Amino acid sequence: MTIAASVKQCLANMKGIEAQLSSLALNSNDKGAQEVFHTTMETIASVKKDLQTRVLELERLEPQYKG
Amino acid sequence: MPSWFDIIIRSFVFLALLFFMTKILGKKQISELSFFEYVSGITIGSIAGEAITGLEKNIFQGMTAIIIFSLATLFADILALKSKSFRDFIEGRGTVFIKDGKVLEENLKKEKYSIDELSALLRQKDIYRVADVEFAVLEPRGTLSALLKKENRPLTPKDLQMKVPIEKEPQTVIMDGNILDEALRSAGKSRGWLETELEKLQLTLDNVFIGQVDSYGELTVDIYDDKIQVPSPTQRPLLLASLKKAQADLEIFSLETEDEASKAMYMKNAKLLQETIDKLTPYLTS
Repeated sequence: MTIAASVKQCLANMKGIEAQLSSLALNSNDKGAQEVFHTTMETIASVKKDLQTRVLELERLEPQYKG
Repeated sequence: MPSWFDIIIRSFVFLALLFFMTKILGKKQISELSFFEYVSGITIGSIAGEAITGLEKNIFQGMTAIIIFSLATLFADILALKSKSFRDFIEGRGTVFIKDGKVLEENLKKEKYSIDELSALLRQKDIYRVADVEFAVLEPRGTLSALLKKENRPLTPKDLQMKVPIEKEPQTVIMDGNILDEALRSAGKSRGWLETELEKLQLTLDNVFIGQVDSYGELTVDIYDDKIQVPSPTQRPLLLASLKKAQADLEIFSLETEDEASKAMYMKNAKLLQETIDKLTPYLTS
């Protein structure tokens, strides 16, 4: 697997994690837990954004891996 | 009127009377916490038994006595709430048997307890060595409460300085295949949510004997057919695992890339993810 492909896979993984944290934040009953899930979700979102830029960069550098 | 018929009538009358009197006195009478309640409990029972079978006597005499005893207990309870000294007199005070790890022989003698009886009471609390006890007190009702020395107490998360998430009590939302709307509301969920969760487990409502929602909004069920295995919720442990995987991936990318800027970006985000994992671990395990 090329680097571009594994970074993309990691990005997809992050998206899944973000969605699950969001659903946990909505489903939890305790305020403290809700807050922890929410803030971590935001952290994950920022990591996801970084990865997204990197994927675009990789695609620009190595157009053969675009897709 | 034949005597057996009289007994039937009296039995029902006193059953109802005793039931209502106990209702008025409340749970406190049933637990017989104080000396007064203990005495009145015994006496009311005896009066009722006497009045039911003592056919030569008037039924109203027994009823009057029961009502008087109940009202006296109620009155004593109310007074005890108002005045501390009255409370000490009526309900009695505990007697300290062990203090600072030492048995107080004087107090044992005062309550007429032998050391055998004290150790029997301690054994009922799974304590076999008197030396393990820091403090023990004989409650007014004759039960013993014991505090172990700090080093003999069970280990708690606090001792280990562990951070544990607050967990609310689980709500029972399904009972005998019926949805309990009130519990569902206090869990902050809707019927639609419950139906989706059941669908995820591939169950129908009338199959479920009991269903509970925990504070993470996870549904656990017990179904009538014990041969069918219901999967237990795995969302949170799986989430933790995929977080760990993503963190490891980022570290690998940072090692593999030759571009300095991306290396720094991967390193920064790997660190961020590690912090996130540390923060979430208490909530995602257990």
